[in-house]
Amino acid sequence: MKTQIRSESYKLVTTRTNLGVAAGMVALIALAVLLHTFGLSLDRLSNVAGQRGVLIDVGVRLGTLFAALLGALAITSEFRTGTIRPTLLVTPRRTKVIAAKSICVLVAGAITGLLAAGTAAGVGSIGLAARGVTIQLTAGDITRLLLGATLAGALWAVIGLGVGAVVRAQVPTIVGLFAWVLFVENILGDVPSWQKFAPGSLGQALGGQVRDGILSSAALAAVLLIAYAALVALAGLTATVRRDVA
Amino acid sequence: MRSVDTTTDPVVVRRLTKRYGRTVAVDDVSFTLKAGTITGFLGPNGAGKSTTLRLLFGLAAPTSGSALVFGHRYAELPAPASAVGAILESGDFHPARSGRGHLRMLALAAGISWERVDEVLAQVELVPKAAARPVRTYSLGMRQRLGLAAALLGQPRLLLLDEPINGLDPTGVHWLRTALRRFAADGGTVLVASHVLAEVAQTVDRVLIINSGRLRADAPIQELADGRNLEDAYLQLIAEAAS
Repeated sequence: MKTQIRSESYKLVTTRTNLGVAAGMVALIALAVLLHTFGLSLDRLSNVAGQRGVLIDVGVRLGTLFAALLGALAITSEFRTGTIRPTLLVTPRRTKVIAAKSICVLVAGAITGLLAAGTAAGVGSIGLAARGVTIQLTAGDITRLLLGATLAGALWAVIGLGVGAVVRAQVPTIVGLFAWVLFVENILGDVPSWQKFAPGSLGQALGGQVRDGILSSAALAAVLLIAYAALVALAGLTATVRRDVA
Repeated sequence: MRSVDTTTDPVVVRRLTKRYGRTVAVDDVSFTLKAGTITGFLGPNGAGKSTTLRLLFGLAAPTSGSALVFGHRYAELPAPASAVGAILESGDFHPARSGRGHLRMLALAAGISWERVDEVLAQVELVPKAAARPVRTYSLGMRQRLGLAAALLGQPRLLLLDEPINGLDPTGVHWLRTALRRFAADGGTVLVASHVLAEVAQTVDRVLIINSGRLRADAPIQELADGRNLEDAYLQLIAEAAS
């Protein structure tokens, strides 16, 4: 297992894909946060709820999305380039391969989530200061955002891996994940009693978001998101073990 | 590293069948490979050669029958990389990863040292400068050499090679032929699927011919060719199978 984890983590760092994904995420978050801090009315930005809303919404949402992307790429790029075959020839026990990948993307996803929240908080503070708005968020709020985004990123990376292992094809996997996070979860806003149990909203709850459609208990949100990630990972494992590799 | 059981035949395929829906890709195929031999695996495109290899590697599960490597299903081999080396037709490299990176990633998973990676790179004559470049910049011949380096990485006792000479230059073909003969002389076993009959005739001891999923011939090369050249014997068999 240790050897497989070494191999899987080596794969994550030996192409520039993941570095590019991270750089793209940082740029996108910085742009979104700046647009919000300069574009929204001062009424909305000067209170704690408004500031929290912007930073968590952008930081956690994009952090989890890119973490999911990283997890999905870890398996779909193997199918796209065919490296899944040499991988399985060296390690024919597929459970071991998926378990090692899960552990590696869990860590990489955590880093992605932390980076996303850190970018949102940093750029947000600069933007608000530049606009002359006093920052109402406490150190506790920021810590909660960073920790929540780290956990959400870790779990969402595993979700991305599981979805990728089931779908296998890269483009449909990525389109599916983007559509879910950016579109389906938004529509669920019409039904807040459902929205709060959606995996993206659970990530927001972990980051400390407070509004309709977000669970108020971080502990419950963590338990539910862990359960989602475990279920999707199990589906990915089952699909990998039972299906032929072309 | 645990070594493989050398008392059992390296490959034993028994009544192997693989269906995809109503298509039968491999149909009741049986054969055995003996240690120290080179066997050619011939047949038209889509005959079932690559599917048979994928079943041997456990990439696909047989509908019925069995394919054993050193007495085990591939997935149950104690140290697969040190038992079996493979070249698959599809290439299977990440275009952005370097050749050396590809081998290192496999070495890490197999618990093989990175010194061994440099050894096999030298063996297949991929110079360090080339090995450091992304695979997307490689010629077909360089990809074949890299594939071969991956196959040799764990010092296996059995090589299963799908079209290993595609794209190799004459020097490369000569080198491969010599290397395979030396490998077999040392007790290694080789199965090589190929369309290049003239090359096969020069290299192999035995020939398996498969067509439409069924094994049409399993004989020593002298017996099969029987005074004719291998191409005539092959074309006649395929024609008979089609009628």
